Amino acid sequence: MSQFNVKRPIVGLPEQDPEPQFSDDELVWTDDEQAKIERWKGQYPDPKAAIMNVLWLAQEKFGWLPPEVIQLCADTLDMDYARAFGVATFYTQYYKEEQGEYVLDVCTCFSCQMMGGYDIFHYLEEKLGIHDGETTDDGTFTLKEVECLGCCGSAPMMQVSNGPYVHNLTKEKVDQLIENLRAGQMPTFTSVTLPQDEDEMGGNRRTDVQPEQVETYQTPPRAEATE
Amino acid sequence: MEATNGTPQSKAGDWRSYERVLLPPVKDLHRLEVYEQHGGYDALRTVLTDDSLTPGDVTQAVKESGLRGRGGAGFSTGMKWSFMPEPDDRPRYLACNADESEPGTFKDRQLMEYNPHLMFEGILIACYAMQIDACYVYTRGEYVDWIDHMQVELDKLYDKGYVGDNIMGTGFSTEIVMHKGAGAYICGEETSLLESLEGKRGYPRYKPPFPAQKGAWSQPTTINNVETLACVPLIVNRGAEWFASTGAEQHPGPVLYGISGHVNRPGVYEYPTGMLITDLIDEVAGGVRGGKALKALIPGGASVPPLRADMIEGVTMDAESLREAGSLFGTGGMLILDEDTDMVSWLRRVTHFYQHESCGQCTPCREGTGWLEQIVTRIDEGEGRLRDLDLLLELGDQMEGRTICAFADAAVWPVRNTVKRFREEFEAKCKKSVHPTGAEVSAGAETAA
Ligand SMILES: Cc1cc2nc3c(=O)[nH]c(=O)nc-3n(C[C@H](O)[C@H](O)[C@H](O)COP(=O)(O)O)c2cc1C
Ligand code: SF4
Ligand code: FES
Repeated sequence: MSQFNVKRPIVGLPEQDPEPQFSDDELVWTDDEQAKIERWKGQYPDPKAAIMNVLWLAQEKFGWLPPEVIQLCADTLDMDYARAFGVATFYTQYYKEEQGEYVLDVCTCFSCQMMGGYDIFHYLEEKLGIHDGETTDDGTFTLKEVECLGCCGSAPMMQVSNGPYVHNLTKEKVDQLIENLRAGQMPTFTSVTLPQDEDEMGGNRRTDVQPEQVETYQTPPRAEATE
Repeated sequence: MEATNGTPQSKAGDWRSYERVLLPPVKDLHRLEVYEQHGGYDALRTVLTDDSLTPGDVTQAVKESGLRGRGGAGFSTGMKWSFMPEPDDRPRYLACNADESEPGTFKDRQLMEYNPHLMFEGILIACYAMQIDACYVYTRGEYVDWIDHMQVELDKLYDKGYVGDNIMGTGFSTEIVMHKGAGAYICGEETSLLESLEGKRGYPRYKPPFPAQKGAWSQPTTINNVETLACVPLIVNRGAEWFASTGAEQHPGPVLYGISGHVNRPGVYEYPTGMLITDLIDEVAGGVRGGKALKALIPGGASVPPLRADMIEGVTMDAESLREAGSLFGTGGMLILDEDTDMVSWLRRVTHFYQHESCGQCTPCREGTGWLEQIVTRIDEGEGRLRDLDLLLELGDQMEGRTICAFADAAVWPVRNTVKRFREEFEAKCKKSVHPTGAEVSAGAETAA
């Protein structure tokens, strides 16, 4: 009765034997990195628990996690490749494909959706000429639609390259951000102040955060259409 | 809830003059030096040095305070602690759940940013009460900035001898380790968190055995939320009676309300539990944006049933009142939706979230969340049939209670209750005529494929 009409596999199948991206000479830890790994291993009753940290370290070093990098991590902790690969593929923040220089993780989850998260996301799609998960031709930006980042009060918002959050997004703010990133300037950590602090202590409570790094929770003006 | 004069009453007492204790207004409170100047670590010192205070007494005090977990389930914290077996030669662990990924929830992050030592002190007291050897603070990977900030403060604690061997010279020792996640909502579920902590895929485990019997690395383990642990020093300093008499009787204490959505003043607010929802929306959060009317409220994160505007009169933010009203307290992350909200489109995004985040171990959940999304999407795109609404409800019945963890239940509740409570909106989007002909059946089958 029914025809199976598979449009695309839900999860892309990895190539069986992709060309290695890194040479054996590159696939080594520095002494500093090795020291970190040893410290992490000592923090758990079973050193294999350090795999998440080691994958993070590898991603910082190599930019992403092709099979040979995952193999390095597995060897480092004396575990099977399959287990390390399993961990790398379970968590969304580990990059299994090469990414642009900057990764824009735009939250479109429903609190952000209600505040115009998709307006921001579609604006970026048009501005950069790419869709969800794609990278610009010049390799500068990768755009992603992500789930709640735990900042729903300052929606819509995004995270840049697994790093700083950018809150209360507007099209102007997005333009500025893209311009800054093109000039190699990452956003800095921003503290969003509590409304009660604004009433009781005039806003920001942390003196280690510069005034330009401080924002308040805001509600964007009503958009014409909420998606 | 109804006062004698018939007007709805808050259980939060004189909340307008409430003085904050979780996030008191002190500049630079996140720094150890400042925290100590304001009485920080006194509670820990008392607990460790007062010989008349046994670990059992601390657990008892937490039980008497009535503290209920702030991570979503609202289980009695003192009770949970008392499930830990008697100390033997096995190591014992505590996991502080800082995974905070429940959409609509953003309060733990503020606590970690502005008052991390309250959490650390709570952890240390909990470690004493349960005789824990090491606590892992499992923080979602996206919170990397906050992890780095907390690590700085944690290093200071090690330097000062407040964590590690022989804490404050009392002979009590425990470690605190920051563990960074890497993006998976399900790792907030306690047994998934433990798997992840062990360096595996975050697949939830069957219960029983419960973590207190067989937790991290098969050893006795307790899991508590950040805010729950932050309440513990307050209980030691101010007494269990003070805590129990703050806010709603059955669900007491100070609490962080994260208010987001269509309100004029969103943000994280600290008040006692038992606040009237109407007070929180109209007064605290400055009312609905643009003077619009309220349509719906999600009181405690994605997983709790939404309430229609006409259902919140006299309802207060505590487990009992919300249960009577037909919802749950959850995480206290309140999403407010105004009259122009398209509930079908909203629910479509909710189901997408669950489809994306299911870990895939159980068939009813892995397949069911996908079907929920496809059916709601079909309705949202005007291709739905009226009978799809019943299909959604029936599908929910098939998923609920048939899976390893509560994720599938959490996916079903918002769907079921949104469809039931906003049915006209769903019906309005469905195709009007229903022809039980072959043509229609194949059209439906095509969309589903
Ligand atoms: C699918 C799912 C996700 C959860 N996510 C979180 C979370 O992000 N943070 C949290 O503290 N608890 C979360 N929980 C609740 C935990 O399983 C656990 O009940 C809680 O951490 C216990 O702490 P408490 O007793 O202090 O609330 C989640 C539960 C489920 C079923
Ligand atoms: S209910 Fe869903 S999330 Fe939970 S274990 Fe089963 S498949 Fe995984
Ligand atoms: S929904 Fe976007 S941060 Fe929570």
